[in-house]
Amino acid sequence: MSIEEPGKKEVPLTNLKDGESGIVVSVKSGYGRAWGLKKRLMDMGITPGTKITVVKTAPFHGPLEVIVRGYRLAIGRGMAEKIFVKVERVE
Amino acid sequence: MIALAGNANVGKSVIFNYLTGLHQHIGNWPGKTVEKAEGTLHFKGYRIDIIDLPGIYSLSTYSIEESISRRYIAVEKPDAVINVVDASILERNLFFTLQLMELETPMVIALNQIDVAKKKGIEIDVEKLSEILGVPVIPTVAIKGIGIFKLLDKAVEVAGKKARPKKVEYGEDFENAIRKIEESFIDYDLPYPRRYVAIKILERDKEIEEEVIQKNPGIISIAKEVGKKLEEKYGHSCPTLITSERYRIAGCIAREVQKIISPPRPTLAEKLHEVTTHKVLGYLVMGTILLSMFFFVFAFGNLLSETLSNLLYGLKPFLTFILETGFLGELFWGGIVEGLIAGATIALPYVIPFYIALYILEDSGYVSRVAFLMDNAMHKMGLHGKAFIPLILGYGCNVPACLGCRIMETQRERLIAAFATTLIPCAARTVIILGLVGRFIGIQWALVLYVFNLIIIFLLGRLAFKALPGEPTGLIMEMPDYRLPHLKTVLKQTWFRLAEFLKIALPLIIVATFTVKLFEEAGLLEAVNTVLSPVTVRWLGLPEAVGVSLIFGVLRKELALIMLANLLGTTDFSYVLTPIQMVVFTIVSMFYIPCIATIATCVKEFGWKKSFFLTVFEILFALALGGVVFRVLSILVNLF
Repeated sequence: MSIEEPGKKEVPLTNLKDGESGIVVSVKSGYGRAWGLKKRLMDMGITPGTKITVVKTAPFHGPLEVIVRGYRLAIGRGMAEKIFVKVERVE
Repeated sequence: MIALAGNANVGKSVIFNYLTGLHQHIGNWPGKTVEKAEGTLHFKGYRIDIIDLPGIYSLSTYSIEESISRRYIAVEKPDAVINVVDASILERNLFFTLQLMELETPMVIALNQIDVAKKKGIEIDVEKLSEILGVPVIPTVAIKGIGIFKLLDKAVEVAGKKARPKKVEYGEDFENAIRKIEESFIDYDLPYPRRYVAIKILERDKEIEEEVIQKNPGIISIAKEVGKKLEEKYGHSCPTLITSERYRIAGCIAREVQKIISPPRPTLAEKLHEVTTHKVLGYLVMGTILLSMFFFVFAFGNLLSETLSNLLYGLKPFLTFILETGFLGELFWGGIVEGLIAGATIALPYVIPFYIALYILEDSGYVSRVAFLMDNAMHKMGLHGKAFIPLILGYGCNVPACLGCRIMETQRERLIAAFATTLIPCAARTVIILGLVGRFIGIQWALVLYVFNLIIIFLLGRLAFKALPGEPTGLIMEMPDYRLPHLKTVLKQTWFRLAEFLKIALPLIIVATFTVKLFEEAGLLEAVNTVLSPVTVRWLGLPEAVGVSLIFGVLRKELALIMLANLLGTTDFSYVLTPIQMVVFTIVSMFYIPCIATIATCVKEFGWKKSFFLTVFEILFALALGGVVFRVLSILVNLF
């Protein structure tokens, strides 16, 4: 049930407002030490094509609370910046 | 031999406790600091060994836990694997199930927490799921013991039949790729299923790649070639593609077997979640909960500690009567019995309530909310949010706080957190800070020292973060639904932890107490003071008696002050110490060494080498800092 429109820009997950959803396009990472973190994100279900909803952000630029594949996940801000999504706006 | 495997927070340990009762043994995996829980039970004439594998989300090699679990299932080959699955998060759990199935071990699925799933409006067609996977699926509610008997029965049955799970087909392109790789090593024997090896090298799994290279490096290049085609077609790297593919299949299966009746209204658990992660209320609730935990642990601890101490010291006349007084009697009492008492009255009373409180917070799911709220602040120290809990506890007693560092995921994070924790002024150090600086200089200066302490911890934490090699840390943490903690599991975990702690800490405490007593009885304390005087008198500008006081402080920190009063012959320190000396003495006692019980805890958690290094570092650091503070303050006083 994808409602993405062509031509929409890819933005990091941190650009989403509370309550907004997006479809994961890619998880950026180098092949260095951050590789493990990317793998971990994907193992937790954040794979390309997955719908991800930002529920809220912790205060003081804290981590993001997201819903993905029906469960609740906290993602540190640094990592959330590496997850690129296409925004799905709720009308 | 049956292994329990599954995601974290699915009720695995509840099932494990239910199955094994008290016949269990908790230790570490050889050479690792990952917990290993084993137990035995008798069932239908079989003696079954059960092993509870760590809770993980995948079978790659991201963490030690994942490698251990994978190696165990693939190499040790248990007779059956019970895969515990959270029915309310079926899709993500099946992602793990699919990986287990690749290992082709006989398995049974425990579809746990179906009651929770039902409450969330999820209904699961158990038979259909079992049919798709070719694996028996038993619905269970572990905390009530529902379905456990049937689960065990099925596990024994599949183990006897050596029933392999069905092969789950991935998409056509992937199947072709896997087949091509499988064909390439048809002549080689590997200890794993072929299909598993093929998938793993396509995924560029380092461990399996290395094993294959030893047989024939050519296979890897074939896999690379096949993988490249996939990457060109789909535009993502192979590891990404395979993870996505597994999730796609898991999603398809989940959608096929579950019927989602939209939940009627937010459940209590969800409302609690809202409040506890709220940007204002969340912090208020956290403050309240942590403070009450703090008071619970220390009120209960103090009470128990005093009662025990009175009781045990009451035995003294009785014991000395038997042993007669004299050198040996003193040595026995002062060395061994006092050591035992110290262990029993300092560590035990605080460790027990602490464990209970911590496990309740963890089991209920609250720890992950604290981590969520505090992540940002802790990041500055190279740690993530969970570290906040041990740090706070450190203000009460460093021993449980160090033990609490286990809630961090990697060994490196645990070590940094423990390091920071040992520098937090515990209740005993508070006695010194308030009893010396607070009383004789002014309470505001005591507060200044607390702030100074925090700044130093922050700086040292950052330094440790920079100095220790390892991955940058980031928070990727499930926030499971709140649930009532299972009291029996909490108590059992507390009991096993406690036994483990005593085994390591008590001997160390006794040996240390004994040594100090031996020195005292042999009249060597004066000599010690003289030997230490270049440091204590010349460098720190303190009276000579401080040498011995500081040594006693290793046993329990407040002893440093008590001994100092003894040796200086007064409790009114304003006669014998200048304000500068008081500040320097307090700063040194604050940092100079973790007390013996804390050292023992560190040894248990991190081994001798790291604990030794930590201890030596803290001694040197405290002395250096004390000397610098002494000089700076002296200059300042002369200026004004």
